[in-house]
Amino acid sequence: MNIYILVALILFSVMAVFLRDLLKSAICLAVASIFLAVMFFRMGATYAGVFEVSVVAGLITVLFITVIALTNDDAKVPENKWPIIIFPVALAIFIIFDIWFMNKFIILPSKALPLLAQGEKFGDVLWGQRTFDLLGQIGVIFAGVFGVFAFFRRKTDE
Amino acid sequence: MSELAYICFVAVAVLVFIGLYCLMTMKNLIKLLIGAEIVAKGVSLALITAGVEKNNIMLAQSLAITFIVVEVALVAVALAIVIGIYKRKKSLDIRNLNNLRG
Repeated sequence: MNIYILVALILFSVMAVFLRDLLKSAICLAVASIFLAVMFFRMGATYAGVFEVSVVAGLITVLFITVIALTNDDAKVPENKWPIIIFPVALAIFIIFDIWFMNKFIILPSKALPLLAQGEKFGDVLWGQRTFDLLGQIGVIFAGVFGVFAFFRRKTDE
Repeated sequence: MSELAYICFVAVAVLVFIGLYCLMTMKNLIKLLIGAEIVAKGVSLALITAGVEKNNIMLAQSLAITFIVVEVALVAVALAIVIGIYKRKKSLDIRNLNNLRG
């Protein structure tokens, strides 16, 4: 089942890149995010899955669709034909190389990190083990907000 | 490495490849951001897969959430820049943005 979800994720990502209509591209990107969130849920990463659905599939898609609506049809950009023609061959070669390369690592045993105590909660890890980098995360949020404000600032009389 | 980690890391590499291919070949600014988003999806999947593989999913999730927040801030600012460029140039073509070329 996991492999089908990953194939769907890759398929929708390819469609998001190569569809000519930007709106359809944005929707394909959102669908790819939903498949990624499903993969997160299946791997036991429920919090990351919820964030992926709500923030990436929701908020970012809304931002993309808003920008596509604000930049109307006059903004259509003619793309070259050759990237679409070369892409299947390049992707097939890359996948073959990728599988061959990753086969070297499949024999390696994975070493579990003895970091977490049994039964430790997500909140303990997020707020307890990671303290100062969360301040950085809050700084990134403010940087994004003020960045958008700066670009849409109205001209003053000065 | 488990079988799940193996197929996930193969998918990560493919996603990053697709995103970089988009970044290198597309001319539309919004398509370039979509390419960056696809690379970001690959990185998120890599973080979670590494967490599952190392039996430390909680820390991996918290890192992935941080990464998602950074991604949102990046996309918000980049889309604001795209709108600013569109207002000025009336085009989303990156070939029109060569004013600084010496």
